[in-house]
Amino acid sequence: MLAFLQFERRRIFGEKKNLIFFAFIALSSAYFAWSGLHEFRSFLEEKRIFLNLEKEKTSQITNYAQYGAFGFRLLYESSPLNLFFVNSSVLQDLESNIDNFEAIRIESSFKGNKLFLKRGYFKDFAGILFVFGSLLMLYLGHAALASQAYLRFMSRRMSLNRYCCLTTVARLFWLDLFFAALALGSYLLIRMAGVVFSDSELRTFLLFLLFLLLVLDFFYLLGQLTTVLLRFRKVFFLWFFVVWFVCVFLLPEMNRVSVFNSSRALESAEKVNLEKFRNLMSMERQFRELIKVNPAAPRDQIKLMQKKFAVQFINSSYLLNTGLETKYLREVEGVIFGHERQSAVFPTMFYQFLTGEASGKGYHGYLDFMDYIMKLRSRFIQFYLRKRYEEGEPPMESFVKGNENVFRSHSRLPRNYWWGVLTTVMYGMGIAYLTLWRLRRQISLA
Amino acid sequence: MIAIQDLNLNRGADQLDSLSLKIDDGEIYFLLNRFGLDFLFHVLDGLRQADAGEVRFDGGTAPGRGSAGIVACIDRLAEVADFETEARLGDWIDFLCAAGGLDRASIFRTLLVCNFHESHLKRRVRDVAPDVFMQVYLAVSLADDRRNLIINDFIHRADKGFELKFNKLLLKKKAQGCAILYLGSDIFYASDIADRVGFVKNGRLLFEADATDLKEMDIKDLYLKFLN
Repeated sequence: MLAFLQFERRRIFGEKKNLIFFAFIALSSAYFAWSGLHEFRSFLEEKRIFLNLEKEKTSQITNYAQYGAFGFRLLYESSPLNLFFVNSSVLQDLESNIDNFEAIRIESSFKGNKLFLKRGYFKDFAGILFVFGSLLMLYLGHAALASQAYLRFMSRRMSLNRYCCLTTVARLFWLDLFFAALALGSYLLIRMAGVVFSDSELRTFLLFLLFLLLVLDFFYLLGQLTTVLLRFRKVFFLWFFVVWFVCVFLLPEMNRVSVFNSSRALESAEKVNLEKFRNLMSMERQFRELIKVNPAAPRDQIKLMQKKFAVQFINSSYLLNTGLETKYLREVEGVIFGHERQSAVFPTMFYQFLTGEASGKGYHGYLDFMDYIMKLRSRFIQFYLRKRYEEGEPPMESFVKGNENVFRSHSRLPRNYWWGVLTTVMYGMGIAYLTLWRLRRQISLA
Repeated sequence: MIAIQDLNLNRGADQLDSLSLKIDDGEIYFLLNRFGLDFLFHVLDGLRQADAGEVRFDGGTAPGRGSAGIVACIDRLAEVADFETEARLGDWIDFLCAAGGLDRASIFRTLLVCNFHESHLKRRVRDVAPDVFMQVYLAVSLADDRRNLIINDFIHRADKGFELKFNKLLLKKKAQGCAILYLGSDIFYASDIADRVGFVKNGRLLFEADATDLKEMDIKDLYLKFLN
């Protein structure tokens, strides 16, 4: 084994064109890690301004009727680990407004410099390692076995199984070492730049790295298989590109289209909002009818009626609307879980799902954000009704305590992470077996 | 000793019908066929199966993994590019010695006979001249002193200088008592190097002659009769 390790180290790292490619990957991933760090710092600055603005805004509001109408904004803050996945996330920079309206609004701002924050496929640390790493691994998998003539020559000196397996293990050892060193080095540099990661974020990053290495190994084995299937012919590079394109772009895109199609079964969010609006309006109508019956009711009595209706609103319409919203959210959750399960079918599809979740701005982050909004909204409505109707408009007090108006999303792994790992390992083993089987036939039949 | 008994190969251009021959220790037998004998070579080196008949080395061992210790097979070197071209020659030899258990001293003894220059060891396979790589390939193939040697058209297209070095090595092997079966299509080279020559045409061994007799025959006539 040691001989294989030494030989493959010299083969891989002694080749100038490989070194150029390694240097390119290292530099571009370092650049994107730095770019992610820059974006993270910009976000922290924006967050500071946001918090100051919100404080200022609340202090300007004069009564609770205004406060109920304007509400306050809630900012979505992803985990610091997001700086490695800025373009792999599902969600953009999000905000929501918590007020006494019936609809929950989640928005992304394109105002000012955010208009120019153009994002696209794979332009982040995780994306660069995935795109260029997979290309490199396909090529190195192709170059590993040289030719049928060489394998026949080697098979006279040792068994073909032993030669192929040990060559593969040795090459993967060095290549994985390179990618692991690159990722861990970037992580340490980011830490040294002052970004603090929690233990759970470190664990998420390490498990992401494990899956990244497995995906890259999968591409290496795919490179070997493609070469063997095409009998080492020189037209390989066309096929090489086709295989890469299908795995990296086509299958994940098909997965995305598939989840979009299954999401069409969901009721329109506008319909849900309309339903909630109707519930609210029917209650408003009842209140107006009551005022019409007693047009000359004194102010105190009207206030008492308002209070009564507020309590009734909390106990009926509000509960009904919250129930509608929760039901809708659970339906969305069902689509997300289906997508999560489907992603584990193929390594590249799962990689995209994983990076979205690890960024803290994935589908589960969205669900958590929605849950947080609904809880906060429920508390805010109660606060608003209590202050306005029960306590009779006391001096203005902000609902937001501390940084409650910042939702901190956690980096996480998909629930079926280990299934994804297992599927990728199974794919790898299947491909390696198929390669060896075809190779044995070719060597003996050539 | 190499013994082939009623060997039948039914597939490919180089098919054979009931081939029987015996090569004694210290003998070079040259089997000629117009289309070459790649199929037979792969049967002898254990990569392919014959349709019928048998091959035995030293009276008992059949081709395959069991014969690895007693038979050395040297195949035609079609393209250097087919080989591991990224590695340096020295690294490749180190690897083969460490992983394949080859005798390093034996490799360098052969290279010495070929006047191989040490500076080539630092060069990559793709950067060395084809005849330099052939020297290394030959040295590696002959690294273990095996008692039987099967060669498939090895000096095909090689230059005369390399051919002379190769002949020197072959005769040395013969002197050491090695049984050598050379498969090819070059009657002139066969008459130079072999002790006995066999002519295969349409899959049958039609004619056998000792090299001394061959020199007295009209080679052009033999060529036209069996290899044209």
